[in-house]
Amino acid sequence: MPLHVLIILVAAGIAGIVGLLHLLGLSEPARLADEDAARAAWAAEFPDDPALAVIVSHDRGAALVETQRGRGIVWPVGADTTARYLIGARARRTRSGVRIDLPDFTAPHVHLRLDAREADRWPALLEDTA
Amino acid sequence: MRDQLTYPDIVQMAVPLFVAAILAEVAWIAVKGRGGRYETRDAMTSLVMGAGNVTSGILLGFIAYGFFMALWRITPLDLGTGWWIVALCFVLDDLRYYWVHRFGHRVRWVWASHVNHHSSQHYNLTTALRQTWTGPFTFMMVVRAPLILLGFHPAMVLFCGGLNLIYQFWIHTEAIGKTPRWFEAVMNTPSHHRVHHGRNARYLDANYAGVFIIWDKLFGTFVPELEEERVDYGLVHNLGTFNPLRVAFHEWVAIFRDITRPGLTWRDRLAYCVKPPGWSHDGTRETTDQIKRRHVAQNPDTAGTPGLPAPGSAE
Repeated sequence: MPLHVLIILVAAGIAGIVGLLHLLGLSEPARLADEDAARAAWAAEFPDDPALAVIVSHDRGAALVETQRGRGIVWPVGADTTARYLIGARARRTRSGVRIDLPDFTAPHVHLRLDAREADRWPALLEDTA
Repeated sequence: MRDQLTYPDIVQMAVPLFVAAILAEVAWIAVKGRGGRYETRDAMTSLVMGAGNVTSGILLGFIAYGFFMALWRITPLDLGTGWWIVALCFVLDDLRYYWVHRFGHRVRWVWASHVNHHSSQHYNLTTALRQTWTGPFTFMMVVRAPLILLGFHPAMVLFCGGLNLIYQFWIHTEAIGKTPRWFEAVMNTPSHHRVHHGRNARYLDANYAGVFIIWDKLFGTFVPELEEERVDYGLVHNLGTFNPLRVAFHEWVAIFRDITRPGLTWRDRLAYCVKPPGWSHDGTRETTDQIKRRHVAQNPDTAGTPGLPAPGSAE
């Protein structure tokens, strides 16, 4: 197959599939229905260090967790979630909430959409372990 | 001895088939409301990884091909090009695939290349295309050396490898449950390969087969998909990014950071490269064997069930 045909085919294929999925409404991020969902999402990553306390953001897009080993964050990665400890994290306010920078190549930044009250409070909670 | 032998680049030729099959799977899930999940950015990352894999093959393919042609020139054997030789080559190359794939999960240096294929929390036909960009750096091409030295032409070996890859495309789906028993007994199927993509303790490091599941049964790595334990897809610690560059290189970066840590012996530095993923010099991480043992300790009733160690099994 000529290279230019392959390139057109691949580019059109990717664009078409991605466009179709978006139009089908499959771009919505995961939501944490409640504290139990946040605990389950944390446990999926760190099953031997359960969440002792959980604060779910108002839009259910993220959760802060307290564990025996320290604080952590659960957040959506597409339609699923992941979680990290906040050791070494840096947080700063953004217009839409808080950005967390993690010392982790596989999860370098977390953008949290928080309301004004949460955005005032969460960085202080994060700093406790930073 | 023939130097010039050409086969069609069937992986490139299969690209339209891949696109059509993905669209069909999306349509099936949308209409039926079951049979798998898609998410836009996850699928985009998988597709971009696939495109990068093809690009990497075009740019770096000469390394493996040059190596194979060098072996071809020194071997006195030439098995010819009969269809039965191609068939035999396909079976033996699948055995080669089994071992390369097993190394890919048990040797961190090789896992660094393969990990991206497991980095999606989804399991659909786009996941099949989430392929490595760094394959040549694992040096796993040496596992193909015996085939060339036995007299299989390099072009034939690569053709069979392409067929193997295409076969594996269709098994990355939740839309197909179980196939007929005779087929499940011999061939790698969606059910067997779902297990391979599982992050559940029992499903870790199982079902390395490419085409024939018999290799796993032969070498003791077969684990059946259990109705009572749904497969949870992804990595033990899932990624927090869809950035293809981070997906492609994250484990290489992790290896680099580990081997450049101060205060380690050279033996430790080497071990960070060649021991199983999860090994650490201070025991602060877990290998899959340790994850399985911890799971059994926490769930004693699961001891000795498929994929999990028996009670009292050795450390």
